[in-house]
Amino acid sequence: MTAVSEHLPVRSGVGFWVDGYRSMLRFETKSLRSYLTIGLVVQVLMGAGMALMYGYYFGDLTPLQQTFIVTGIPALAMVPVGFAMVPASVMDHKIRNTYDYVWSLPVPRGASAAATFTIFTVIAIPGTAAAILIATMIYDIDLQVSWLVIPAILLTSAMATSVGYALGHVIPEPRVTNLITNMVIFLVLLFSPIVVPIEQFPEWWGSVQRVLPFWHMSLVIRDGLTDGLVTDAGASYLVLTLWTVAAWAATGWVVAKRR
Amino acid sequence: MTVDSALALGLPAKRSGPASWLSSYAAMLRWETRGARLLFPLIVVVQILAGAGFVLGFGLLIPNIDADMALYLSTGAVVMSLILIGLVLTPQVIAQQRMEGSYEFLWSLPVPRSAATMASVTLAALAAIPGVAAAMLVAVWRYDISFMVSPSVVPGCLLTLLCGCFIGTAVAHGVEEPQVTLLFTQLAIFFIIGFSPVSFPVDRLPSWLATVHEFLPFHHMAVVVRSSLTTGLVTVTLLDWVVVAVWTLVTGVITGLVLVRRK
Repeated sequence: MTAVSEHLPVRSGVGFWVDGYRSMLRFETKSLRSYLTIGLVVQVLMGAGMALMYGYYFGDLTPLQQTFIVTGIPALAMVPVGFAMVPASVMDHKIRNTYDYVWSLPVPRGASAAATFTIFTVIAIPGTAAAILIATMIYDIDLQVSWLVIPAILLTSAMATSVGYALGHVIPEPRVTNLITNMVIFLVLLFSPIVVPIEQFPEWWGSVQRVLPFWHMSLVIRDGLTDGLVTDAGASYLVLTLWTVAAWAATGWVVAKRR
Repeated sequence: MTVDSALALGLPAKRSGPASWLSSYAAMLRWETRGARLLFPLIVVVQILAGAGFVLGFGLLIPNIDADMALYLSTGAVVMSLILIGLVLTPQVIAQQRMEGSYEFLWSLPVPRSAATMASVTLAALAAIPGVAAAMLVAVWRYDISFMVSPSVVPGCLLTLLCGCFIGTAVAHGVEEPQVTLLFTQLAIFFIIGFSPVSFPVDRLPSWLATVHEFLPFHHMAVVVRSSLTTGLVTVTLLDWVVVAVWTLVTGVITGLVLVRRK
């Protein structure tokens, strides 16, 4: 192919990447727009609905327990977007046989992946904010919001989107992904120390939760919304970063592979 | 067309009567069982996990759970399994048939529509049993509580199950668009688990929602089934039975009307 390479130069460089990223951002936003609207609604309903629902199941609550619920809600609201909607959007391409088409577009694969990732990370933020607001009104709790909440929400959203994206790409069979996302939702809603202190759980299960990302998600956000309730958020930031990096490594491995 | 003219055309005589209905029911039951043989084990596993998981999970989350609350939770899980199997599984199966394009074919089979529907209700009832058993066993093992089962458990569970199946069937056959049916099942799950006083006392709801639930069947179903599995936890009144029975009857009639409708 050397003979034609003068006429068909391989484009590369930062400028080309940024161009590709911007085109893919437009492409994905347009193809996902109704899906993203539903996502936003689901997130707000899920957040507000769970805030109410936990209250009904828990009965009489002390202000501290109420604060735990309210500050756990944002992490909870991010889970359906990151762990269900992102893998589902990747799966949708696989089911409709457009997966290879998207990869065949003349943009760097990294730019394409980064565009999807950006959209879902951004879409999670207004829903999360609305969920916090509604939960605060339901329980009438005064939160001590600090600037830390910004990196906390950005990192948790990025982590959830990355892991969901990796799940969608790494697992070849759409049904398996569907099963896993359902299991994750079940695990998060009923078996994770997000709206209650981790000490309430049996010790062995607490140790498992210290490895999984869900408890850490709630912890860093709680740290940004309250004063004195969380003592050591540094380790949680580290765990969340590790999950994000691992997810990107897994995605990168699949995305870069040629068939 | 009279019987004579049908015979003259070489068509078989129109079959009717209980014997024909029963043999159609048996045939459809075999049909449904074989059609679901791959899906059925998965549904059973999901039912077991959901029933057991619900009792275990909320047991972990609820601060200082006591025996009464554990009993409430586990009997609530039983009721939810019974309601949701009909309200969710039946519409999902029918929505699936509509999407695959096999819906019209099934309707064209020479069996009474009521026989076909009762066959799928029977299968749903069988699928509900493992989830119910799992919720009760986990509660006995984890919280060391005991159930006091009274004979009223049979009509209570049957009415609850039938009513859920009737609502689910009516929606699935009445709504043309399968996506809308699927959305309905999602909302039903959300509403029954989160906002119906099935697994928590009704006084925790805001008063307007509690009033709404006096007219809906779910709270009364919970009281009826709970009172037949425990003693001293709730008092069942005649009103509860009447509401559940009336709902089952009315939804049964509506389902019948939807089923005999012709295009």
